[in-house]
Amino acid sequence: MPDIRHTRLADVLINYSINVKPGDRVAILTQPPAMPLVEEIYRKVLEAGGFPYVQLGGLRTKVETEVLSYYLLTEGNDEQIEHVNRFEKIIREEFECMVSLYSGTNTRAMSGVDPARLSQRIKAYTDVTRTYQQRSASKDLRWVISMFPTNAYAQDADMSLEEFEDYVYKTTFVDQDNPIREWKKIHDDQQKLVDYLAGKKVLEVKGPHVDLRLSIEGRGFVNSDGEHNMPSGEVYTSPVEDSADGWVRFGFPAIYSAREVEGIELTFEKGKVVKATAEKNEDFLQKMIATDEGASRLGEFAIGTNKRINRFIKNILFDEKIGGTIHMALGFGFPQVGGKNESAIHWDMICEMRDGGQIFADGEQFYESGEFTI
Amino acid sequence: MPDQRTSRLAQVLVEYSMNVQPGERIAVVGTTLAEPLMLECMRYILRAGAHPHLVARLPAEDYVLFTEANKDQLTYVSPLLRTVIEEFDGFLQISSTGNSRQLSGVDPEKQGLHSKARSPLMKRYMERHNARDLRILITLFPTAQQAQDADMSLTELEDYVYAATYSDTEDSIAAWNNVADQQNTYVEWLEGKESVKVQGPDVDLSLSIKGRRFLSAHGQVNMPDGEIYTSPVEDSLNGWIRFGFPAIRAGREVEGIELTFEMGKVVEARANKGEDLLMQMLDVDDGARYVGEFAVGANDQINRFMRNMLFDEKMGSTIHLALGAGFSDVGGRNESGIHWDMLCNMRDGGQIYVDDELFYDSGRFFPE
Repeated sequence: MPDIRHTRLADVLINYSINVKPGDRVAILTQPPAMPLVEEIYRKVLEAGGFPYVQLGGLRTKVETEVLSYYLLTEGNDEQIEHVNRFEKIIREEFECMVSLYSGTNTRAMSGVDPARLSQRIKAYTDVTRTYQQRSASKDLRWVISMFPTNAYAQDADMSLEEFEDYVYKTTFVDQDNPIREWKKIHDDQQKLVDYLAGKKVLEVKGPHVDLRLSIEGRGFVNSDGEHNMPSGEVYTSPVEDSADGWVRFGFPAIYSAREVEGIELTFEKGKVVKATAEKNEDFLQKMIATDEGASRLGEFAIGTNKRINRFIKNILFDEKIGGTIHMALGFGFPQVGGKNESAIHWDMICEMRDGGQIFADGEQFYESGEFTI
Repeated sequence: MPDQRTSRLAQVLVEYSMNVQPGERIAVVGTTLAEPLMLECMRYILRAGAHPHLVARLPAEDYVLFTEANKDQLTYVSPLLRTVIEEFDGFLQISSTGNSRQLSGVDPEKQGLHSKARSPLMKRYMERHNARDLRILITLFPTAQQAQDADMSLTELEDYVYAATYSDTEDSIAAWNNVADQQNTYVEWLEGKESVKVQGPDVDLSLSIKGRRFLSAHGQVNMPDGEIYTSPVEDSLNGWIRFGFPAIRAGREVEGIELTFEMGKVVEARANKGEDLLMQMLDVDDGARYVGEFAVGANDQINRFMRNMLFDEKMGSTIHLALGAGFSDVGGRNESGIHWDMLCNMRDGGQIYVDDELFYDSGRFFPE
């Protein structure tokens, strides 16, 4: 008898997030520890009339099997590092659905890998990434990312595995009888905000950690209600690429491929990062910004809304939705909202707003210290 | 068939470190994650004609204990543990955690109760250990979560652990005998010496070792090992030192510690990060401002900081001082509730003069 919460999470993923229809091919990209959840997902896909394909996360997915990635990037030659996995390509080019499950065994496994080799790998997947983004925007590929809790993430979160499991299942609402109803309610609440922001032109973000102006003219906000991320709870857009002006300090560590950069401060002029500093690991920040042209521009501006997500656990799937924070990502933007920025990276960074942060749309304040005031 | 290096490590632990004899009773404690090493230790203990007692703990059992147990249950001392400490000949502890942060949310008071209830037994443990009636040995079996703490992949941590314990060489025991011989020449030479001056980019310190003995730690109590240490004369330290490596206490890191000593006592202290914790610790008791240990790391296989003192304090080209309790077996008299090791880099021009003779330079002993 499985943990009832696994069954409910599988139900949410298959019947709410990606809404599997008969005949859909569903790739389940996973890591070995997630098998108890994978089994429940497999059954839900069968029940929905789809075709489940289970495979190890593979490289250059959101759920890399870190031991294998480590060997590839430390022992592989250039040709092997730049080789695109055929299965991963087919899934993104042809499949209808994709479920990715984080379930790592060591979040620091890639710390010793040369960042240049990592960039090399990421670059090799530029075409696959673009196809994925296009098919995602057109809804030809419906995907969701979620997590099966492990000690690796629990340790980063400063929790026991049991506490961490409770956190994951609480923030996804699968600790309740009818989580799908809860997610529909979140959808409705966030939709009001998205509707308010529709047609607005200029955002001003002010507070102790930020003083930034952005244009969102012609860009709508997306209601992130659990369709692509589980848990979710944010509204986001891609700001006009050459519009960001000002300064922001990200008080939470920013993590990319297991590397932690602390105390990042960015200054933007005409959309481009003109100054970047960090208290810890600044070298890595500079290298990532230099990945390509788009890596020094914003691909995302977002407001986190999930109040059940209330502590920083060093995992962006959760942290970017902390109710009372905003986040921005350097790198690729979202075509479905008009985002044009192209880059091999998309690096989310979180800024605290609960201590006096304010957001104005076309001069009207709609957000104060973590609460919506409209 | 286990990793060959795991077998070699087991052989070192049983035959070299503990020198297990026929008929002895040896307890081997680790988590289930350490199964490969525990089984190999069992094999070598049996081959030595002794009686292995394996205690395989579940990685999460402490969390369940501390969240569920009432006061009675928290202060209950296992009769099995009592038997081991009172009666056994050897006690091998294998660090093999499945989640180093699992007790972060547990009330420290509960942990205090638990350790307090065990303190009479722990006293007995130290007595029998000091008398060499109970041979205590601490080692580590690499796990994914320990690798995560060390900022490494598991493969990297395995390579690191097996290199530091010489389990990656054909004849590991010969390698450790060689370490013992080397280090014994250092401590023999230091016998009867009086004044020590430590100089370099990070240190300018003088201290007295008059009437104190240096000991060589070469794998009997810790594996890996490799250091020589003493307790300096308590009121003898004068000068300044900067600890280039983070000092860790209760899971928190204090970075960039600088201490100034006058007549043995810390009179000035600062840190770049975690200075509040440093100040708290200095005021724990009277002995916390005095040095209980001066040691020189000698294991050149240990060459990166991994936030684990079992390894870090033996790092080649470093020295370490501990604030707090000294070692009575070398003549140390400082008493304190703490013993906090701090590491200073000697790689680039760090020198030690003993009775005005150059004893150590940039990681090399007896430099020419």
